[in-house]
Amino acid sequence: MPLFGKQDVQAAVARVPLMKGFGTEAWELKNAEILHLAFEVIEGPAEWLVPPALHPSIPPYATLAVARFPTSPAGPFALAQVRLVVRAGIRPRGYLLGAYTDSEQAAAELRTRWGFTLGLATITLQARHDRVIGQVMREGQTILDMELENPEQIAGTEVTYLDNLHLARVMENGKETPVIVQVDPEYVFHNAQRGKPRLISLQADAWGGDNRLRCTNPMHATFSRCDTDLPKLRFGMDPLVPAVQGSRRLAA
Amino acid sequence: MKFGIFYELSVPRPWDGESERKVYMNALEQVRLADELGFDQVWAVEHHFLEEYSHCSSPELFLTACAMQTKNIHVGHGIVICVPEFNHPIRIAERAAVLDILSGGRLEFGTGRSATWTELGGFRANPDDTKKSWDEFVHCLPKMWMQERFSYEGKYFSMPSRAVLPKPYQKPHPPMWVAVTSPGTELDAADRGIGSLGVTFTTFAEQEAKVKEYRRRIQNCNPVGGFVNNKVNTVNFLFCHEDAETGTKIGMRMLQHFNYLAAQLDMAKEAYPTKSYLSAGLLPSLRRQASSPGELGKAPEGIAIGNPAHLVQELKKWEACGVDRVSFMLNAAEIIPQEQLLNSLRLFAKEVMPAFAEAQPARAAAGGGR
Repeated sequence: MPLFGKQDVQAAVARVPLMKGFGTEAWELKNAEILHLAFEVIEGPAEWLVPPALHPSIPPYATLAVARFPTSPAGPFALAQVRLVVRAGIRPRGYLLGAYTDSEQAAAELRTRWGFTLGLATITLQARHDRVIGQVMREGQTILDMELENPEQIAGTEVTYLDNLHLARVMENGKETPVIVQVDPEYVFHNAQRGKPRLISLQADAWGGDNRLRCTNPMHATFSRCDTDLPKLRFGMDPLVPAVQGSRRLAA
Repeated sequence: MKFGIFYELSVPRPWDGESERKVYMNALEQVRLADELGFDQVWAVEHHFLEEYSHCSSPELFLTACAMQTKNIHVGHGIVICVPEFNHPIRIAERAAVLDILSGGRLEFGTGRSATWTELGGFRANPDDTKKSWDEFVHCLPKMWMQERFSYEGKYFSMPSRAVLPKPYQKPHPPMWVAVTSPGTELDAADRGIGSLGVTFTTFAEQEAKVKEYRRRIQNCNPVGGFVNNKVNTVNFLFCHEDAETGTKIGMRMLQHFNYLAAQLDMAKEAYPTKSYLSAGLLPSLRRQASSPGELGKAPEGIAIGNPAHLVQELKKWEACGVDRVSFMLNAAEIIPQEQLLNSLRLFAKEVMPAFAEAQPARAAAGGGR
């Protein structure tokens, strides 16, 4: 049997949001721009960032993303995420370690409707001809600085974005219960590029990675313009039970 | 139709000092029995770093042991990864020739390029280049075997004139194959005059159409080697039991374990955006086959698990599609106890093989282009 995560869920749950329930409506997010980098991570410590329901992938890797959404029901907002790639049973997923947005209105919605663990920060996404730059600054400190170097055009069919898993809390039967919810957007690509990933700085403890998230081998960098969404929630799972036994379809 | 067996050599956790040796020894015992029973080939993959799923990183050594313990069964080196960071082509040619000599001309030589980031990233190979390096290698390897001396200036390797030694026992060289997973690779195989190995399709109808196109196209091929190998080999699973329900139940457990272990690996398509890997590759292809919807309590379409009558029925469908050979995976994560597995092989040989005349053990002398 593959290795399972060793995260202390009880401790992790203290920093995740309380969701309103599972019945959120979807948001359309047109003309999004997404910078997405992937790096392998040192495997031993990373196992402690993955809940016991999930398997670390072989080898484990992290995805770092900075996205800008010019239109949404909460107005324009930017979103930065750090995720660790895992397996929920046999399904590849990105388990959210931490996220930031630049919009207070969006933050409230993202936390309570989709279970994003996120804070507020200044987020920059610059698409230049020689590189695409993503930066996140919190309280005057840079907590993520990354680039895609030497962009070249590719087809949208070559880009793979894994669905998200978010650890959150929800009220069920009168008590707060930890849950992992799956957020599985769809993408229609207008344009896609790839290039060399360059991680200038990542302050792991600002993203829920403590000192356990250590990026090593660079894998890829992509930048895309696409229509996407934040969909209705479809699946949830118990963070302490293997996903094949602990997954359930969410009632709206 | 001929039948073979196919090894990934999965080693489930928890591991101890004996885990890997036990898997290897079990496999060797199965190969010896398969040889006695009239199976035609034993294939072993080349995989690296694929924890639990496959601990078969030096298939040429395993296959040498197989060859030395058997008389007739062909040894399928499949596939050898034709990517320079994994294998230098001179070393591939040398190792294959030695295996052919030691086996007395029983080598089947499979080629491919790997489909996981776990492996490609581990060797720091560029996924964009693997199809191109594969093409260069398959054009050069037969020349290394057939020409007394060989020289070459290429993109992925170069060499001054040297005698690549030894030469294979089979003349002009062993039959060549390519692992077909990405759409269109069966056409690459046809154009180069090499066999199509491990074609897995979603439906029999689609399989039939692809085999038909392969057969049509190979008529006008520009062969990379000294002869054309126009055979089609598919990979399948095997568990045969007198009782259909028991056979299906145990077989499905094997499929589920295979599926689960394979899913833990980082596939190239998932981890690196490239048009070189638009399909996910062999493992997900087999996984789809293994987990395709079937009626409750029944095996998915085309999978050789169940009782002998069911296996004959399913394999006849593959035969009708134009498939020449089927190679079976016998176990996954050692989920099937060894004695039960050996009994499955015996029952298959007794009750299923006779329905396929060519699978009888009357063999021609080994040799190229058989």
